[in-house]
Amino acid sequence: MAILETKNICKAFAGVYANENISLSVEKGSIHALLGENGAGKTTFVNILYGIYTADSGEMRWKGQPVFFRSPMDAIDAGIGMVQQHFSLVSRMTVLDNIILNLKGNRFVLDRVAAEKRVLKLAEKYGLHVDTRARVTDLSVGERQRVEILKALYRDVELLILDEPTGVLTPQETAKFFDVLRNLKNEGHAIIIITHRMSEIMAVSDRVTILRDGRNVANLTTAVTNPDELSRYMIGRELAESGDVVTPTGRGVMLKMDHISLARRNREHPLHDITLQVHNGEILGIAGVEGNGQKELAEVITGIRKNNAGEMTLEGSDIGNLSVKKRYEAGIAYISDDRHNDSLIVSMNVAENLTLRDFRCAPYSRCRVINRVAIARNAEQKMTVYQIRTSGKTGAATPVGLMSGGNQQKLIIARELSDKAKLIVASQPTRGLDIGATEFVRNMLIKQRNEGKSVILISADLEEIMALSDRIVVMFGGAIAGILPRGDATVQQIGLLMGGIMEKERA
Amino acid sequence: MQQINRKQTAFDILKILLMTVVLGAILILICGANPWEAAQLFFRGMFGTFSSFAEIFVKACPLILTSLGCAIAFKTGFFNIGAEGQFYVGALGTTVVALYLPGVSGIAKIVLALSIGFICGGLWALIAAVLKAKFNISEIIVTIMLNYIAINFLGYAVRSFLMDPAGNVPQSEKIASDARLAIFIPSTRFHVGILIAVCCVALVWFLMEKTTVGYELTAVGTNKRAAGCNGISVFKNIVLSAFLSGGFAALAGGIEVLAIQKKLLEGISSNCGYTAVLVALIAGNRPFGVLAVSVLYAAMQVGANSMQRQMGIPSSIVNILIGVVVVLILGKELITLSRHPKQTQ
Repeated sequence: MAILETKNICKAFAGVYANENISLSVEKGSIHALLGENGAGKTTFVNILYGIYTADSGEMRWKGQPVFFRSPMDAIDAGIGMVQQHFSLVSRMTVLDNIILNLKGNRFVLDRVAAEKRVLKLAEKYGLHVDTRARVTDLSVGERQRVEILKALYRDVELLILDEPTGVLTPQETAKFFDVLRNLKNEGHAIIIITHRMSEIMAVSDRVTILRDGRNVANLTTAVTNPDELSRYMIGRELAESGDVVTPTGRGVMLKMDHISLARRNREHPLHDITLQVHNGEILGIAGVEGNGQKELAEVITGIRKNNAGEMTLEGSDIGNLSVKKRYEAGIAYISDDRHNDSLIVSMNVAENLTLRDFRCAPYSRCRVINRVAIARNAEQKMTVYQIRTSGKTGAATPVGLMSGGNQQKLIIARELSDKAKLIVASQPTRGLDIGATEFVRNMLIKQRNEGKSVILISADLEEIMALSDRIVVMFGGAIAGILPRGDATVQQIGLLMGGIMEKERA
Repeated sequence: MQQINRKQTAFDILKILLMTVVLGAILILICGANPWEAAQLFFRGMFGTFSSFAEIFVKACPLILTSLGCAIAFKTGFFNIGAEGQFYVGALGTTVVALYLPGVSGIAKIVLALSIGFICGGLWALIAAVLKAKFNISEIIVTIMLNYIAINFLGYAVRSFLMDPAGNVPQSEKIASDARLAIFIPSTRFHVGILIAVCCVALVWFLMEKTTVGYELTAVGTNKRAAGCNGISVFKNIVLSAFLSGGFAALAGGIEVLAIQKKLLEGISSNCGYTAVLVALIAGNRPFGVLAVSVLYAAMQVGANSMQRQMGIPSSIVNILIGVVVVLILGKELITLSRHPKQTQ
């Protein structure tokens, strides 16, 4: 019997569909996986199930009855629990207090003894061992997750939604975690699990729903499918190859990374033993599900983070110890995926942001005295060449915060793609841009490549990677899962590597 | 659009002014005095005689320098609440040089004494800066704690190694007259230190507005992360701003010793290191704004003192009103923020 059914759920944000006609049904006592790329609409969909968002249209049935959740409280009352990607625990409180927080049955005086008894019983039953009197701050990520699950079970949920639960776990913790899920399933609970790891879907789920661009493209039974099929559904299209690939011959090495590693700190994704080369006149695409070390890689190359081990050379000379400033002067430019925090000072104006890298040099300053005229002239020229538009008549004096995302990105590109730049690290350079601006950015990158410069293109958009890159590096878990020449790479291959399935495992 | 904003701002300032005046009048009425009469005394206190007018600047001088220091720090995102302690450290350093450095005299000695005071204060502030930049420890708490240490260390010093052997009072020997800062306008207390303070304002304005140094400091103050990603050293700039900030507060202490007290003793700051935080906030961290607000504050203080002398109205009324103004200004900013929520992309 289906415990939860949805029919044609639609949800749009600012006119763009995040979910379009999603229909699925979840059986009692089963594990249902949701698979999809970044931005496919998985999280939006489960947020609707849990009452965080309300659907624009469509129907939801809970145990056969139509339901409408206005808030997570409604969903919890009905018997639906969710563990979000970012945990919602009060870190200074104990495990027990977190579990009984905001419980309907709480009296004015809390009965912690009875509560603890019940928590321990639940923990025993499902193998969710955790010290109920420990403070959440002192717990590991895996333990926090167990607390979140206990919190849901304590509220007698019958359907448990887990958003990317294994992203933060080690392989050992994951194995234990799957045992818990199987226990829950055997006790008759239904589970919806979001993941992008194919191996996990094959290992634990009964059914799979694949979302792409906000639509569910397939509902499959796990037993009769395989990773290849899943990957094809997830990515969906045979990507168009753009024909004009010039594969330069006899080119030199621009950047060489040798066994670069970055140690774990504050639960950041580390880098393991990265060895790669970027040639002159090459766009090296870096594919991978977000959060698998791409950002760290970009920051190690640009000098924002210092690698713990390994060596790095730019055109043969060691850059491992150079500061961000020195590396920029050596020719490393950076287009960050986080425009507002990393690349721009939004309260400063266009002209100032355009010279954020070069303000120390003539003609922008002499003997440390700033030449505003030169800075303004530079802005005027760059704004014309790169078609940077500002709203209103203030022109180069407009604070960057008041500009559109596309124009902000053009500004960053105008600044970073100077004559000095030899290696451009571009992270998600077209994210959030409209078609025109996207086209502009891509053409600029191709132009750099054709001029013999090197580009490292980090993107979660496989289509973009496939269309622009000469070679493709796939990252998984902070390491290189594979390096493919563009001609040989198929979407399936990349999809499998992104999901953490190595060549040898398949054979 | 901008014109409307400017009009709105002017209107808001007028409202705040009006509210302060009304509140002041009420407080004076409660004291049983006539507000009109008090107001007359208040202004006569400021402009009555030439020397009382000069007194405004004498009072403003330490405030200008300490507030200038705070403004630099705030602009760089370093919330220095330690101007009071830095003032004392500067006074101490300057006194030691002025009293005990042999072999130099006159202007050379004054310059040396003030410079070393400046450096002492700068290094004192540096403690908090390094803790913040390296370990992300709140500079607010550290500078407040450093204040206690500095203030009490001065008390200890004037009772032990710096105590005037000729007397029994907790204060240092008198500084020789050749090491004192001269009076600039005869028959008033308007001293050369005031000119130094005004020069410092111009210097800091130039530094912050016209040089790459100021640009880097401002960039770090507005978006540390972006500054770092674009090759501007966050550590270097926080350290520099703390050093300058502490240095100017210390210079205020040194000038107070060499120009007004001519010796070291407790309580010489008149709490200007704390007032400086408010002045910098009201002035929006702009150097010339600091100059204007400091002079205005000092003028109110001088006026209030004359009220107190002649009518027995407590001069603390001025401090109450200043507090109210700050709360109103901060409140106004909050209200403006909530009226126009942050633009989202």
